[in-house]
Amino acid sequence: MPEIALKDILINARQESFRMQHYYLGVEHLFIGLLQINGGLTNSLIEDSGLTTDYVTDAIRRQMGKGTRQRLWAGLPNSPRADVVLSIANDLALEEGRQEISERDLLLAIFEENDSIPVRVLRKLGLNPASLASTTREHVTPFDSRQPYITVEFSESFEPTDSLNEQHLFILRRMFYGYSRVRVERQLTGGYTPAMILVVTPIQGDNVEDAAVVVKIDRSDTILDEAQRYETHIKSSLPPLTARLEDKPTAAETSDVAGLKYTFVAGDNNNARDLRVVAQEIGAGGLGTWLSQELYPAFGKTWWMQRRPYRFQVWAEYDWLLPPLLTLEYVPSDDQPQVKVTIKEAARRKKLEHLEYGDLVAVENYTIQRVYRDKNSIQLAVGKGSEAARRAYKVEVQNLNMTSDAYFRGEVVERLVGRVWKTRAEILFLAAHALEPDFDARAEMIPGFNKGEKLLNPLIAYEDLMDRYVNGSLSKIHGDLHLGNILVGPNQTPFLIDFAQTRNGHTLFDWACLEISLLNDVVLPVLGEDWESARQVMRVVAALPEYHLPPDTHVMLAEAVRPLLSVREIVRECLATSENWSEYYIALALSALRAVTWETMSIGGRRLMFLLSAYAISQLRSRLRQAGSLDTLSNDETDVTDF
Amino acid sequence: MSGVDDGLLLRYSTEGDGLAEAEAWVLRLGRRDDNDVCLRHDTYSSRYHARLHWKDARWWLEDCDSKNGTFVEGDEDDSRVGGTIPIETGQLFRVGRTWLRIQQAE
Repeated sequence: MPEIALKDILINARQESFRMQHYYLGVEHLFIGLLQINGGLTNSLIEDSGLTTDYVTDAIRRQMGKGTRQRLWAGLPNSPRADVVLSIANDLALEEGRQEISERDLLLAIFEENDSIPVRVLRKLGLNPASLASTTREHVTPFDSRQPYITVEFSESFEPTDSLNEQHLFILRRMFYGYSRVRVERQLTGGYTPAMILVVTPIQGDNVEDAAVVVKIDRSDTILDEAQRYETHIKSSLPPLTARLEDKPTAAETSDVAGLKYTFVAGDNNNARDLRVVAQEIGAGGLGTWLSQELYPAFGKTWWMQRRPYRFQVWAEYDWLLPPLLTLEYVPSDDQPQVKVTIKEAARRKKLEHLEYGDLVAVENYTIQRVYRDKNSIQLAVGKGSEAARRAYKVEVQNLNMTSDAYFRGEVVERLVGRVWKTRAEILFLAAHALEPDFDARAEMIPGFNKGEKLLNPLIAYEDLMDRYVNGSLSKIHGDLHLGNILVGPNQTPFLIDFAQTRNGHTLFDWACLEISLLNDVVLPVLGEDWESARQVMRVVAALPEYHLPPDTHVMLAEAVRPLLSVREIVRECLATSENWSEYYIALALSALRAVTWETMSIGGRRLMFLLSAYAISQLRSRLRQAGSLDTLSNDETDVTDF
Repeated sequence: MSGVDDGLLLRYSTEGDGLAEAEAWVLRLGRRDDNDVCLRHDTYSSRYHARLHWKDARWWLEDCDSKNGTFVEGDEDDSRVGGTIPIETGQLFRVGRTWLRIQQAE
């Protein structure tokens, strides 16, 4: 492999300094310069540690922050630390009788100095600089593209809903390096994440099959975050027997995806199946019992039962579920245009009501949540408060210039101007329109599921809930609890997988998600996809939490809703105020509204979700009218409590 | 110190530097020249941003109502300093955009 000379690394480093508007050369720029050498030593070192160069680059940028547009000095001075590092690197080169500093020299010098921002960031990401340094010394760059060839087979029962693409196969082959074949058994799908979740059996050269594992493949930053999150939050709060994350994540240089492997700590692993499959075997009654007697106690001890009082504004926990507040086309800030609305930290959504296509909007002090390098777009959000609040008020900005400006996750954007391209209301109405409603989806009231009854249109009425206060509870929650993420092992042991959304949040959110999943996967299939079926299901849901079903209820439907009774029993136990169901209707209303926008859910499911959201919001509205401010939901802005 | 001055070591002694107050020895941090630690190039720091106190045989960090805040490095998130808090030698803290730490002179 040709040695990379210092001058080439410096070019990368200077460009990074300009992109970040720093205008000096620091060790952080040198390190990012090293990371950008494709196929280089630094690159393979990071990837062997289960991280990607983009991920590490963003973590360093986050720690540094962007400078100001204004330059405070001329030229591009070296920081004192950069001088120290360069002189160490120079010594290393001289010791070996070389005139020029190589990539390896510089990298070793950075590790030796051991006190710079990039080294601190690596340490925070769980890497050990000392062992990285020794690897660097011994590392012989293989410079083959490390594409071990492993045959990927599919079991007969594998029915891919999205077929695996080349990127997925690449990750699988790399993840199971050392095996001769792998067999993809099943695909576990559903829920909020667009991730690909597979059950895979690795097979050794002598045809010995190892225990099946669950593989999750998703965008690399999501996967790497999940791995970090698992280490810090989740590992210590899991029941002794459950699915655990093993090995470091596997990433690819050639694409933006990465994979994780969950293994089961239990006896006969091949028995683990997802709850959707199990539900068909044990029936709805058995499923309900299992939820309350196995799942809730097993994870509840460290999760939902550890709840504490939590007073929050609805938007802080639930806004992030909804489509972006605005989608903007970027306008370079140099031409100073007529800005119609400026959105700051806590957006006053009222101001956005009258925005039209093409209006100019400024966004100030929002935090970048996602960078879509391939689409030249970013997603911004509030960035402060609880984990869910940070992701509230999403704003998407398109048409950015990614080559001249650096955008990184976690960056606080001081000000950014764009033209309105799409609004949240539009996205919601389009989603509702796709359901081919047999009523006017833009009217304030929609027909209910009982004759003559009217319900509030959730597309309009949800807005009124967002700024109200809820006296609820906070605990560790899974964040994406649906049947596909719940596995059943030997002896009925519950296993949860997919911890990408696990956080401290509103306790009832998990159960609202599970209710939605049960309605879509267990209850609705008993009937059909049409509006009448959805209404029939809603008539039964409205009879919960008791089981006083309408007299004409279909026998199979009456049976299918049994697991919901268990969910509602668990919810009853978790309500912050005894028998005050408003707290749950909030979670249900907004989780159901989110599901209306899910393209992965069947049209029948989304119709049901639309009605569920309408029903929950109408229930809330009538309770509010009865109870006034003593209720869980209050509008009393003077009574803001900090937690 | 991070930023353009990353790696810079500033030396202070109780004789001659800082303010000798009745019960404590104080170092001032901020953007203006008359601070003991002058963060000239950090536009995120306030003119008089924070103070370090040596009192009761330990260091204390005080935020002087700065606009962008003073932060102490944490495992996940950096925590904002409100009022005066104790700080260890070697602990990283951030004034505006600049990371600093106290080091015992050899």
